[in-house]
Amino acid sequence: MSRSLDLDTVAPDDQVETKPIENIEIKKKENTQESVLGKNLLIADETEKELITEEKRGNNASDTSQNDDNLDKKIYSIVGHTTSPFSSLLIKPHVFDFEERDSDEKIILVARPHWFTNVSWIITAVVLALAPSLLKFVPIISDIPAKFQMMGIMFWYLITFAFSFEKFLSWYFDVYIITDERVIDIEFNNLLNKKFSEAKLSMIQDITSRVTGVAQTMFNYGSVYVQTAAEVPEICFEMVPNPEKIIKVLQILREEEEREALEGRVK
Amino acid sequence: MMGNLNNYLVLAEKIFGVLGAIIYLIFALVIVKQVGTMSKNIKDKFNGLLIIFSYIHLAAAVLLVFIAWTVL
Repeated sequence: MSRSLDLDTVAPDDQVETKPIENIEIKKKENTQESVLGKNLLIADETEKELITEEKRGNNASDTSQNDDNLDKKIYSIVGHTTSPFSSLLIKPHVFDFEERDSDEKIILVARPHWFTNVSWIITAVVLALAPSLLKFVPIISDIPAKFQMMGIMFWYLITFAFSFEKFLSWYFDVYIITDERVIDIEFNNLLNKKFSEAKLSMIQDITSRVTGVAQTMFNYGSVYVQTAAEVPEICFEMVPNPEKIIKVLQILREEEEREALEGRVK
Repeated sequence: MMGNLNNYLVLAEKIFGVLGAIIYLIFALVIVKQVGTMSKNIKDKFNGLLIIFSYIHLAAAVLLVFIAWTVL
């Protein structure tokens, strides 16, 4: 008999007990069958785990979609649906989009200044447009040569158009956006000045609104001041319609954000 | 003497007219550029219409330069 079965300590003259090859082959086969069975069991376990995680994911997705639906219902019940494309409040718009939006960010509300804020420049534009026809009654004008009159009138109408167009653009592109993640203020002043400020919903500390004057009280529009803990200390929604409804929407979104943070659903 | 003065006045008027129209043309170009930038930043239903209006305005400004050059 050998002194040791440990091959490292076996001397060359030692007789090592060997097992018959057939037995080894049978054992190998058994081992392979066992390993196949084990593998199959492992695969079954993995698929079961995958199914469970998928089910969980599905449940989470259905939960989030249910949450979204509930949120939509709440918002629609507060603000109602958008009726006109020129409306100053667009609720969950399908066409509206902005460059800085994240791919998974949903636009909840878009606000522009109230239509009544346009009345002053519309009146001015109408007066400017009618002015050349009133010049007929000014006697000195008839002394000016016809070609100069024509040039002057053309220049006048172009300036009137540019004035109205600039005012309209300033209103149209002055938007306040509330998404499910943040509050954004995009402003274009005098065509050459662009301002973009944003604050996360979770950074909002305080919201106040101010309605002052006869026109604002009559047509129910005013300013909403959103104080934040972000770099921009305050975001102001100027002259927006229904400021109290905007505050309610912001409150609901903040509550939803807090709930998401508690449940660990923060993006 | 008076004829020369008249000629100078007409020339000055023409220069002022053309210069004014060119300055206005630059302003119209700025509007076109700015409307394009705004439309890129904020996408809404009427962006296309606003771009068309800005180009019509630019065309009118070009016409103004042409008229100032030929008529005055």
